[in-house]
Amino acid sequence: MAASLVRLVRGGLGRSLNISRSSCLLQQQIRAQSSTTESRPTVRPKDGVAHNQLAAFGEYVAEMMPKYVQQVQVTCYNELEVMIHPDGVIPVLTFMRDHTNAQFRNMIDLTAVDIPTRQNRFEIVYNLLSLRFNSRIRVKTYTDELTPVDSAVPVHMAANWYEREVWDMYGVFFANHPDLRRILTDYGFEGHPFRKDFPLSGYVEVRYDDELKRVVAEPVELSQEFRKFDLNTPWEVFPAYREPKEAPPKLEAGDAPPEKK
Amino acid sequence: MSLQTTGLVGLAVSHNPHERLRILYSKILTSLQTMPQDAAYRKYTEQLVNERFNHVKSEPDVDKLEKKINCGQIEEVIFQAECELALSRKMSDWKPWEPLIEEPPPNQWKWPI
Repeated sequence: MAASLVRLVRGGLGRSLNISRSSCLLQQQIRAQSSTTESRPTVRPKDGVAHNQLAAFGEYVAEMMPKYVQQVQVTCYNELEVMIHPDGVIPVLTFMRDHTNAQFRNMIDLTAVDIPTRQNRFEIVYNLLSLRFNSRIRVKTYTDELTPVDSAVPVHMAANWYEREVWDMYGVFFANHPDLRRILTDYGFEGHPFRKDFPLSGYVEVRYDDELKRVVAEPVELSQEFRKFDLNTPWEVFPAYREPKEAPPKLEAGDAPPEKK
Repeated sequence: MSLQTTGLVGLAVSHNPHERLRILYSKILTSLQTMPQDAAYRKYTEQLVNERFNHVKSEPDVDKLEKKINCGQIEEVIFQAECELALSRKMSDWKPWEPLIEEPPPNQWKWPI
């Protein structure tokens, strides 16, 4: 699993490309071994051809736009992900749409992910489809609560409502959006419900008031005190993503090796 | 009898595809001239456009030309060339061949957290 996640981390282009090539080769060897030995019906079969095509296209994109692309990876389910700097939203999406070898002319989805522990807590995810080459790509970028991201509406009309949705649910501001207002929540709603720090019960509840003859909103009253549950699973959740153990500290040239007993 | 329709909404039959493609491809190549020699975008796009341009120059028959280019009907190829021209002009402004503007913050792309 971990081996099937090829990461092409950018940093010294030629070097990283060489590394990724060699890792691809390594990949093929591993796959060749696993496809010969793997006969269990419950294990997802590897699609080496599609994987290599995607990895090659990812390298192509990273080489074309080194200014914006931070990282390219192919996930274990053969999905190509391109991580970009937030300034590069318009250039990268336009490149994907207009370049003859890409032609990702359809925006299938645009959404956000909230990870509060990160410095830039929101990930913005663009899913694109190329009908010409029958392939999909995912472009990811990041932002925090205050930094605006360039709107994708000049590139893809479909982004209009998606961006309103992200603005409504996460409070990510899109610069140059033609009509950025709430879309899913009620009139006069306050807060952004998909943020991780938004309580499940919300802040207000509404009821019909017979005296006032209208619907009134009141702060939520919970009958039960807030309780903290410490529910940690006893199992290891992501064994495939286990952190590699730290290598033993390297010896300086003059140091004597530690005495063995 | 000449072709009546491309079968695609909003894409009219082109009566002089060779001339149109020749104009578009030469415009793309001129626009690529403004970029630095070692830019990957210029390198790959020049390669791609030159290959198609040679097909257009050498093949007078439209059906055979479509087969040689192998990227849809000739009207679609024209549309792709128009997009590429617009893109190459924008690319000169964006200069995407420059080094990375900013490294991501540590652990930004680490998943699972």
